[in-house]
Amino acid sequence: MADENNIKDCGSPDHGIHRRKFLEGITAGSLSTFSWSGLFSVPAFAEIAKRKQKHCILLWLCGGPSQFETWDPKPGKPTGGPFKSMPTKIPGVHFSELMPSCSSIADKLAVVRSMRTAQKEHTQAINLLQRGNKVRPPFVRPTMGSVLAQQLGQLGSKIPNFILLDPCPEGNEFKGFKAGNWAGWLGAEYTPVRVGGKYKIPDTEKLDSITDGDHEARAELRRFFSKKFENETKSSAVESYNATFDRVRGLMSCSDLFDLDRLPTEDRERYGPGTFGQHALLARSLVEEGAPFVMVANGMPWDTHVFNHEIYQMVVPDLDNIIFQLVNDLEDRGLLEDTLVVAMGEFGRTPWINQARGRDHYPNAWSFAMAGAGVKGGAVVGATDEMGIEVTDSPYDERNLFATIFSALGIDPYAEYDLPNFPTFHRVEEKIQPIKEILR
Amino acid sequence: MKVEIKKKTEIKLPSHCLSMAPGPDERLYAACVDGGVYSLDKKGHQDKIISHGNFVSGVNVSNGLIVSTDYDGNIKWTSIDSGKEQRKIKAHKFWSWQSRVSPDSKMIGSVTGQYLVGGYKYEPSYETEPSIKVFNALSGEIIYEFSHIPPVQSLAFSNDSRYLAAGNLMGEVRVWDLSSGKMYTSWNTPSFTGWGIIKGHYYTGGIFSIGFSPDDCSIYLAGMGSTRDPAAGNGKQLWEEFSWKDQGMPPKMKRSALDSEIGQGLMETLSFHPDGAFFVMAGRMFKGNWNIALFDTDKGNILCSQNSGIRCSDILFSEDGTKFYIGGGKSQGKKKVDGFDSWGRIQGFEINIS
Repeated sequence: MADENNIKDCGSPDHGIHRRKFLEGITAGSLSTFSWSGLFSVPAFAEIAKRKQKHCILLWLCGGPSQFETWDPKPGKPTGGPFKSMPTKIPGVHFSELMPSCSSIADKLAVVRSMRTAQKEHTQAINLLQRGNKVRPPFVRPTMGSVLAQQLGQLGSKIPNFILLDPCPEGNEFKGFKAGNWAGWLGAEYTPVRVGGKYKIPDTEKLDSITDGDHEARAELRRFFSKKFENETKSSAVESYNATFDRVRGLMSCSDLFDLDRLPTEDRERYGPGTFGQHALLARSLVEEGAPFVMVANGMPWDTHVFNHEIYQMVVPDLDNIIFQLVNDLEDRGLLEDTLVVAMGEFGRTPWINQARGRDHYPNAWSFAMAGAGVKGGAVVGATDEMGIEVTDSPYDERNLFATIFSALGIDPYAEYDLPNFPTFHRVEEKIQPIKEILR
Repeated sequence: MKVEIKKKTEIKLPSHCLSMAPGPDERLYAACVDGGVYSLDKKGHQDKIISHGNFVSGVNVSNGLIVSTDYDGNIKWTSIDSGKEQRKIKAHKFWSWQSRVSPDSKMIGSVTGQYLVGGYKYEPSYETEPSIKVFNALSGEIIYEFSHIPPVQSLAFSNDSRYLAAGNLMGEVRVWDLSSGKMYTSWNTPSFTGWGIIKGHYYTGGIFSIGFSPDDCSIYLAGMGSTRDPAAGNGKQLWEEFSWKDQGMPPKMKRSALDSEIGQGLMETLSFHPDGAFFVMAGRMFKGNWNIALFDTDKGNILCSQNSGIRCSDILFSEDGTKFYIGGGKSQGKKKVDGFDSWGRIQGFEINIS
């Protein structure tokens, strides 16, 4: 792909140095895999990499969060439900009363209230909102995370370029999606490393019976033969195995970063005790360590066909606090300018209540929020009618959303993929425009 | 005993009915989620007589007053004769989930509590305000504040007005002796609470209705059996009976709904017939063939049942026991050009006992 935004080719004169350092690390043998991070010991390179590095944290609200109980409340209307709205820091803008913390930092958030998409079933909608375009079999478009991993990831980084934090509830559509092909035509190198539930990555400890040198030598031998085999057979399966081995070796060098116990207790308390809060804190920590893309999911608790109000009384305050803590923490650490935080699901929920106290899937009019890199804080874009049934102003869809995310992160949204024997594909097709009102 | 029921009336209301109370001249008061308390006469004519700013969760009648509670945590006293509001107090910071007047008409109880994340598995956090409040039904003065783990979704006074029982999301029942203000007993039943294995890891369900047996020796709980998928609403249609009053003995489950007779769905309400021979449990049917069932008090089996086609939130027997009413609603449905269809319902059933 011809793309000047690909940060793997940083253009620095120190690039050669880092390659030499990398090779030295491997051939010396006595150095452990920590030599991967050793390349950052060259000050000039580290500085450039740090300056260029953009990050993205996706709070994936799988199941489809209700716009009524979050960003687009309609209090007092027949569709409004029992929760009221509250004023925000932006004059005239109200969020749900369940979001007092986000209301207090509305000047740092950008909210779009006019999403209108076409898929109302989870699997199709998750695909749509994770890949940014309709499915076109047999070609598999990479997910947002894979694209960002490729574009923002750094060669030799000890942290995986695409991390998915999720406690993995059983038997749902998101679990089915997770078993699918995330990286599509980008290849196995850009699939996510999934961690969740127990926080720590298991089975990444090097056995005491193997010395660092032996460990490195074995890895080199495996790499040599498998690469040779891969080249001779042109096997994508072997390529995938190699990518997996490389990933595991990377994980062995950074598994401690996934250990929440190393984080301050005060931080853990601030983010709340549930898995979503703890994983969001971990995402912050991983970004601080250089992770380019972290997706934080929490199963599908937003899919409230039953007990909508009874469940939202809990999950929305949890989300409210998580966004508040995350945005403020990133800002305090000087990372918000370079980190895009996105909170969204695959659709919204119906204005009307079903017989089971629930709201059902609704792609016709829904909302999402962003903050950080490239985003204009305080922007509230689009509108729905008084009952939240139809978009009345500035309708946007998944293509606008993806063009916005790429633009905010300094990635060319319309770059053409270099795919031999494939039809022509672009990151965002048809040059669909980003949501300019929320971009700086 | 053979009991048959036959639906005789169905009245439409603008929105879902959460609670009912009997008024003078065979009137019914219906509390609805549009913020209205409606007065309905025998012919079904309806007037909105009280307005709340949010869902009205409870309506009760006491000493010539209508006492209604809402999701803003308010309690309103309104004169039946004049229709004027006599008093309004802010009882809770969060919803009043349910309210009841004591059988002696001296007290009104209301329960509250927001489910907030309290642990790794999304256990509810501790209360930030008393979960149960008991007021003087006439003066509105607070009599008792009791603690529980929120959200507390249901309560009941004993028939002798001496005890108050309240149940929460996690299936914990606490009973207080109102003569001393002390907790008399408590126990936990896991049957009504589901932790999501599928979709999301959090808790749903809980005890939606509590009733004392006519002799006050048992406490009946109603709700939905545990479910792995919190978005499905497919737990058992469940009630359980507990003996609770034996001095020195821990509360013990005596009986529950028979697996062979029940389907799936949330049961929101349980109420005893005035002569105590049977009780009715009602709610929503997810799977099975009934959402209203009459159970023999002595044997626990179903005497008769029916699928009424609505979600039922409250049951009200006529004083003479020849009729009962179900308050609830259908799905809200999509908006039409002139607005939403009326989706609240009150269904009247005739009871034949032979």
